[in-house]
Amino acid sequence: MTFVRRIILAVALPITLLGLWWFASEGSTNYLWPPLSRILTAFGDTWTAERLRADVVPSLTRLAAGYGLAVIAGIALGVLIGGAPRVRAFTEPVLEFMRAIPPPVLVPIIMLVLGLGDTMKIVVIASGCVWPILLNTVEGVRGRDEVLDDTCRTYGIRGGLRVRHLVLRAASPQILTGARQALSIAIILMVISELFAAENGLGFTVMQFSRGFQIPEMWSGVFLLGLIGVALAAVYRLVEAWLLRWYHGQRLSRREW
Amino acid sequence: MLEVSGLRKVYDSHGRRVEAIGDLTFTVPDGSLTCVVGPSGCGKTTLLRCIAGLLQPTAGEVRVQGSLVSGPPAGLAVVFQEYGRSLFHWLRVRENVELPLKAARMPKSRRGELVADALDAVGLADAHSAYPWQLSGGMQQRVAIARAIAYQPKVLLMDEPFAAVDAQTRADLEDLIREVWRRLGVTLLFVTHDIDEAVYLGERVIVLSASPTRVADDLPIDLPDLRDQLTTRADPRFTELRGRVYAQIQKAKAERTPT
Repeated sequence: MTFVRRIILAVALPITLLGLWWFASEGSTNYLWPPLSRILTAFGDTWTAERLRADVVPSLTRLAAGYGLAVIAGIALGVLIGGAPRVRAFTEPVLEFMRAIPPPVLVPIIMLVLGLGDTMKIVVIASGCVWPILLNTVEGVRGRDEVLDDTCRTYGIRGGLRVRHLVLRAASPQILTGARQALSIAIILMVISELFAAENGLGFTVMQFSRGFQIPEMWSGVFLLGLIGVALAAVYRLVEAWLLRWYHGQRLSRREW
Repeated sequence: MLEVSGLRKVYDSHGRRVEAIGDLTFTVPDGSLTCVVGPSGCGKTTLLRCIAGLLQPTAGEVRVQGSLVSGPPAGLAVVFQEYGRSLFHWLRVRENVELPLKAARMPKSRRGELVADALDAVGLADAHSAYPWQLSGGMQQRVAIARAIAYQPKVLLMDEPFAAVDAQTRADLEDLIREVWRRLGVTLLFVTHDIDEAVYLGERVIVLSASPTRVADDLPIDLPDLRDQLTTRADPRFTELRGRVYAQIQKAKAERTPT
């Protein structure tokens, strides 16, 4: 498939849907369903450079901090737990329990403990994101090839060198699967953490528009959130393709034989 | 020198006792090339893993260079059967060969020399920046052999390294092994199920019985030192030795009591 055809295939459905929305909503007098043309105008008027700086940047900064914290903690704990069968047997029931709790439920609790500041929001994001990363890392570390383990033992590859070149790399396909799931959760929690007692942020702004019955502006905020999600997914795909180039290459070469 | 004395290994799992190795005793002198051959399922890999210090024997002991093996000994390298699984897929060929040297904290310039020499010795000087999965099976096993060479071991163990490559590649790799052994002066223990391969490669062939494994026969291979796929395999003495090993293995199989 050529590059041009792939682009056409990828954008065909979004453009069709936008077109349908445009014509179906044109001339709409329903207060809650304003015409798309009005939403797009509101988009340009609402999301000015000033607003991006005041609301979008704080949101994304908290997202990056919470997500980064979850990635570091999830991988570090996952390597520890996945590498020791006893530790795993000991911690597994608790981990499964923690994973089963829907992250938004923790927001009121974390709010009580940490107050309403940025720390609370970052911890909310991190506490929801850490589970898929942690559990996938555990599985990835556990599932590494025993022949490679024997190779490391035979050639005296130990400690940090072993973690870097065997444990992390062998688990990386699964770690990245966990990181992808966590990314979706991070965006959801970023918004949710701003719905309660915030003074800036995307979730806060959308909520303000809703309370003020600024319906086109509210829709434009939802639209922006969707765009941010798409952009973050694209960044993720670039990072994944680079980190797992060996993995994809290997799978491709297997298919050829 | 490699000494195996009174080695015994019993697997106990799920209430089933499997005596993989009954009682094995043999010595491999320094710088020799010994092949171990036996019927399939006779505990060859178990034996090799015990020697490599990857598996704790139930009884008996293994000594490498005089010291008792309780974990992987220094100066011992292993080439595993599953080349596709023993290489780091995320590292280039050069980095795969270099990693054990990094672990040994060898200076960078020395590492570079050893890696280049080793890849040259196995005929992969051009492939150093490829990933393992970009190479054929035979070439991947050459990478594993280069890694063992660069490590400069005193003892080199090979566990059916050519079981998964095609016949022509196999012949090339056999000659490569003879050449590497002669050049390095390493003590080489080569485990295989292939009788022809054992006789062609070895200075000596140890024939194992079916499990519980014992030494069924231990014969010196008095073929000329310079071996050649055509002339050596056509040598009447080769056929004779091959016949003797074959008969021993058939006998071992027949004696095996069905369990």
